[in-house]
Amino acid sequence: MKFTETHEWINVKDNIGTVGVTDYAQKELGDIVYVELPKIGSQVKKGQEAVVLESTKAAADVYSPVSGKIVEVNTALSNASEKVNKFPESDGWLFKIQLSDLQEVDSLLDKEAYQSRIP
Amino acid sequence: MKTALYEHHRALGAKLIDFGGWEMPLQYSSIVHEHQIVRSKVGIFDVSHMGRILVEGLGAEALLDYLSTNQIADKPDGTATYTIWCDEKGKCIDDLLVYRVSSTQFFVIVNASNREKDLDHLLHYSAGRDVTINDRYHEDGILAVQGPNADMLIAKIFPDAEALSPMSFIVDSYEGEPVVISATGYTGAGGVEICGPNSIIVKLWEELLKEGEEYGIEPIGLGARDTLRLEAGYALYGHELSGKIAPIETVSAWTVKMNKLDFLGKSALQKLEASKQKRREYPVVLGGKGIAREGFPVYLEDRQIGVVTSGTFSPTLNQAIALVLVDKNLKVGDTIEIQIRQNRCPAEVVSLPFIGTVRH
Repeated sequence: MKFTETHEWINVKDNIGTVGVTDYAQKELGDIVYVELPKIGSQVKKGQEAVVLESTKAAADVYSPVSGKIVEVNTALSNASEKVNKFPESDGWLFKIQLSDLQEVDSLLDKEAYQSRIP
Repeated sequence: MKTALYEHHRALGAKLIDFGGWEMPLQYSSIVHEHQIVRSKVGIFDVSHMGRILVEGLGAEALLDYLSTNQIADKPDGTATYTIWCDEKGKCIDDLLVYRVSSTQFFVIVNASNREKDLDHLLHYSAGRDVTINDRYHEDGILAVQGPNADMLIAKIFPDAEALSPMSFIVDSYEGEPVVISATGYTGAGGVEICGPNSIIVKLWEELLKEGEEYGIEPIGLGARDTLRLEAGYALYGHELSGKIAPIETVSAWTVKMNKLDFLGKSALQKLEASKQKRREYPVVLGGKGIAREGFPVYLEDRQIGVVTSGTFSPTLNQAIALVLVDKNLKVGDTIEIQIRQNRCPAEVVSLPFIGTVRH
């Protein structure tokens, strides 16, 4: 699993990355009450906003850690957005992306580097 | 600024935020959880950032009646009245509660962000009247105990406060100090608010938390206070009320008694009432997904008719709700649209409150 400075994680297997937000991010956001997921088939660039998480406090953008095509979204969240709070780094995943440039993963943070960046 | 309970909030693990210059608890656990505790059990809030001002003397009743859009004169002793104050131009200065101890003894409890403005306003208009104005800003603290179990808890500590009717209050004592206990609140969940000197407010907070254990009490932050008040349809100064909005345009328009002989701002409000410039605030429930946030544009058939003044997710309804300020007359059942980022989300006009009991 790799991480971004903007608190996303990505798990890449066979050219497909599963993306979510970190436990730190969900704690900062508070109760997530609605998740606006991207359209399947849409293209996103690394660093581009792909998901909006609405919490009781505010809306927060989730940025794609890599470039590629959205191939799957976590539809279970449409009725159970609290999964992002409860299981941010497993069942609360947001979308799967087919990477257009595998090398982009190398520039992401490993777990240790990410954890040293959060307060 | 910090309230007398600041260290307690920190010790309870609260996430603190700046609210009008005050370091206040946003949440202790989670906003949705705390919201549900107040709707189902009982919650305790530190609202000591609000301010109390004593207004006393032979001219107190006439002064407060003149400054208030609601009727203050001739109300029974021991009652609290919700009102708006507006300026001579008819714009909102604040919304507040006016407490009547007797015909010559009143006090008001005002919003944190308007403490200095309200005090100046009172001092300005008390000139030449037989009235003394004394703020208790540095002496008093205020707690809110809200929820269906609040009355049982309060009766344990203050037997005389049992069966207070809505919007009434008593002056009781705690540890030898006077405390005001009023059947008022900002949640639509029932309960009381308690005002007393800071010297006893910390002990009272501790005792309420301890004695409230059997009723499921938890401390509640400002985050849930906002979702609760919005479900109840209560205005929040700076959102539904402001120096750019007239009282008769707001969800609190019912407080404006135009049949009063006179009050500050009345002639301006009469002019606005007769004009086509008057806007109105309406409660809406969103049909689609997404949360309508303050400032989001509101449309009716492709014409922007106004903006969202407050919006949130209602944990009780499990739907997004909002208050909107629009330049068009709407009725219950009408559908408008709210622009949420790239989408127009339909929303239906409903009646208030969304949830809970009506305050007036």
